[in-house]
Amino acid sequence: MSETWLISGSPGCGKTSWILDTFKNHQGSCGYIRLKGFSEIDLEQAVSSKIDFNYLKDQIPELLDLNSSNLALITSKENPLIIIELPQFKVPELYGLNGIDLRVLKELEDLKLKPNKYLHFGRDPELQIKDTLNFKNIESYNLELKKSIWDPASLNTFWFELVNGAYGDVYRAKALMNLPDGRYIFFNWILSQQGSQYLTLNNVAPLNGRPERHSEIVIQGNKIDFDLIKSTIQNCLLNDSVLELHQASLRDSQLQTA
Amino acid sequence: MKQAVISCLHANLPAVEAVLKDIELQGITNITCLGDLVGYGPQPNEVIELIRDKRISTCQGCWDEDVVDGLDACDCSYPSQLAEKRGHIAHQWTTDQLTKENKDFLAKLPYSIRKDKCLFVHGSPNSQHEYLLPDMDAFAALERVETARAETLFCGHTHQPYIRELANGSIAVKVKNADSKDIQEKEMDLPMRRIVNAGSVGEPRHGGTKATYVVYDENTNEVKIREVEYDVELTCKAIIKAGLPQIFAWRLRNGFEFAEQAEDASHVCER
Repeated sequence: MSETWLISGSPGCGKTSWILDTFKNHQGSCGYIRLKGFSEIDLEQAVSSKIDFNYLKDQIPELLDLNSSNLALITSKENPLIIIELPQFKVPELYGLNGIDLRVLKELEDLKLKPNKYLHFGRDPELQIKDTLNFKNIESYNLELKKSIWDPASLNTFWFELVNGAYGDVYRAKALMNLPDGRYIFFNWILSQQGSQYLTLNNVAPLNGRPERHSEIVIQGNKIDFDLIKSTIQNCLLNDSVLELHQASLRDSQLQTA
Repeated sequence: MKQAVISCLHANLPAVEAVLKDIELQGITNITCLGDLVGYGPQPNEVIELIRDKRISTCQGCWDEDVVDGLDACDCSYPSQLAEKRGHIAHQWTTDQLTKENKDFLAKLPYSIRKDKCLFVHGSPNSQHEYLLPDMDAFAALERVETARAETLFCGHTHQPYIRELANGSIAVKVKNADSKDIQEKEMDLPMRRIVNAGSVGEPRHGGTKATYVVYDENTNEVKIREVEYDVELTCKAIIKAGLPQIFAWRLRNGFEFAEQAEDASHVCER
């Protein structure tokens, strides 16, 4: 029998980590979709980011992306679990399926998804909230970085500056970044938790040019200088000739060790 | 007799004025400056003119050298592409601001100053660009002091003040003559050597915002690191007003220990 759960919560409450753990513990096929959510007054939702799916897919390669109309495929499999992630600031007034926002219900209908369970982080006991951030004002910004490759030392400097307030009050930042040696790094940071999470994903790109995989940064906070962030990022990215220099040197060292 | 050693002023006039005032209040008149009068900060001419007016003996820092040479430090001096791009902006801005007279002053600064058993340099006796970090290999550290024929080596460049004593050093040498099977061995004990880093007046990176310098007492051989408060906001506003990268103001305001530093700290540029 197919299980379809709708999971909502505010930014950084731990939705994606919980979903990953749930999928890992599930005996059967898994499907995932992330809805855009709706912005409230002074509280802007992040643009529907592909970071979460790419991160989950890297950790669970058989995960099906329900954004790509795989619904029929997953429901035909054995013991499927579909999780719908919904970014939502406000706590639903009603418990269970009755608490689903009407706008979300409409969206789910269009996607032909019918949840049989709805849980909200911080309200339902199954979903303990990890942080105590009380968002009163939040702006959101995302920058697609597909085919962009970072100078590693510059990335280190930029991330330090970003999470320490050089570009405004950042509450939440996550990203998928490409490095010249083919590594694909998941960055995750939230104000209320100590330190950043850096995870090198399993996906490794070949040392010849720019990978096609998804790369993006999502930043949420208050009074953020997005123009400065954008220009700083531009100064951190490698141009073709510098990239080739890096990759040629890495190819040579691989040949020598082979 | 006491003397003060200041370094890495980085065109931060309020910081330099506060430190000179602190030195004056202690009755110290003998001051040595380890260079980097300019770079990052918004008042390069004012800082140079203050040092000139006070006739403070000064050696040349890496920024002073680069500005005079009319070209930026080679890429290897920058730890990252981002640091390089920001450095280029600051370099160009500083070059545009400096008067010919002040550029000539920087050009004539010596690489090092020797006073009795003390040697004063910006980076290391090898180069203005070399970092003598507090945790560098003890043998390498001792080598820098010993080959410079100094008992105490005063340096800056890292922006982190420290005093490192290198005690119980010895050099063991083995020599085998071509016409003999005998191997001669000799071991020489070295007296204690010391590296003193004065930190930075104009761009501290010791985890706080206070300007740092050191006071050396020639009679007792004692060295003390001093921290001086100054109006950081005044400098930050001047950085923004000058159109320099605002990240310089942010870094100054927060006094983060984090610094952009070459991956290989001991690398010496050979351009």
